[in-house]
Amino acid sequence: MFEQQTSGDKGISAFPDGDNLFSWVATISGAANTVYEGIEFKLRMEFSNNYPFSAPTVRFTSPCFHPNVDQQGNICLDILKEKWSASYDVRALLLSIQSLLGEPNNSSPLNVQAADLWSDQSRFRQSVLERCSSCVRQS
Amino acid sequence: MAGVENTGEAGATGGQEGPEASDGAYECNICLDQARDAVVSMCGHLFCWPCLHTWLETRRNNQVCPVCKAAISRDKVIPLYGRNSSNKDPRNQLPPRPPGQRTEPENQGTTFGGVNFGDTNFHMSFGIGAFPLGFFASTLNFGGERLNPHAGLQPGQQFHADDQMLSKLFLGLGIFCVIWILLA
Repeated sequence: MFEQQTSGDKGISAFPDGDNLFSWVATISGAANTVYEGIEFKLRMEFSNNYPFSAPTVRFTSPCFHPNVDQQGNICLDILKEKWSASYDVRALLLSIQSLLGEPNNSSPLNVQAADLWSDQSRFRQSVLERCSSCVRQS
Repeated sequence: MAGVENTGEAGATGGQEGPEASDGAYECNICLDQARDAVVSMCGHLFCWPCLHTWLETRRNNQVCPVCKAAISRDKVIPLYGRNSSNKDPRNQLPPRPPGQRTEPENQGTTFGGVNFGDTNFHMSFGIGAFPLGFFASTLNFGGERLNPHAGLQPGQQFHADDQMLSKLFLGLGIFCVIWILLA
């Protein structure tokens, strides 16, 4: 029923949190050539008994400065809400969130400050780093 | 990962290639297992019928293919029959549905009064002649209920017989009055 996330894709991974198959911990690395490059975010995915007929609840657990992510880490993404489809798996979800990082929807922001700052990419990058210095990947 | 462990013993001689080659080709797009009671949509996507049925039930007003979002419905999927599978249409074998739920209505007491009022309306609808009797009958009924609210069948029936007689009487009177008015 759940597709185990393997290392096939760069920059995303997900595993069940302990023995609980309904709660997963995931990581997403910011894509290259975006303000999130070199930053690794942690997320929590909660699956309901109704999965895959209803979307899992996905939240950032690391602070994420992004126009479509609020202070609590909630994500505003259509495929997590009304555009959910039963054929989406964990990999598809995480890739969608990864691409949302680089291509925010600034017309309906959860974080207005981030949406306003998006046009200034260097200052935006600074804000991202200020909020999540611990997320910078050690290389 | 589990797959690699399983084939590790059996498949040093290329046994791993077999499952890999057909990997996913006949898997349900919803549960990701091999499709059982398989159906295929007009857009070509394979599902277990129980999975697709559940999906369609969750989106009654917006039935789209989970893979490509094409329009889809129960009548627009084709059941697939393999060589050894039964030729029963999987669409007739729905997953068990949850039973309906029924709760008793509240305020049992007041419905009695409602029935009596309904009676009154019934009498009234017969016309002018029956009207006074309907009023009278309902008054009588109320009296009967009050005296013996739980098991008053016998006296109730008696009242009813009297009512019917009176009803005929008043009906006759009413008709007579109408005719008289018309003639006058």
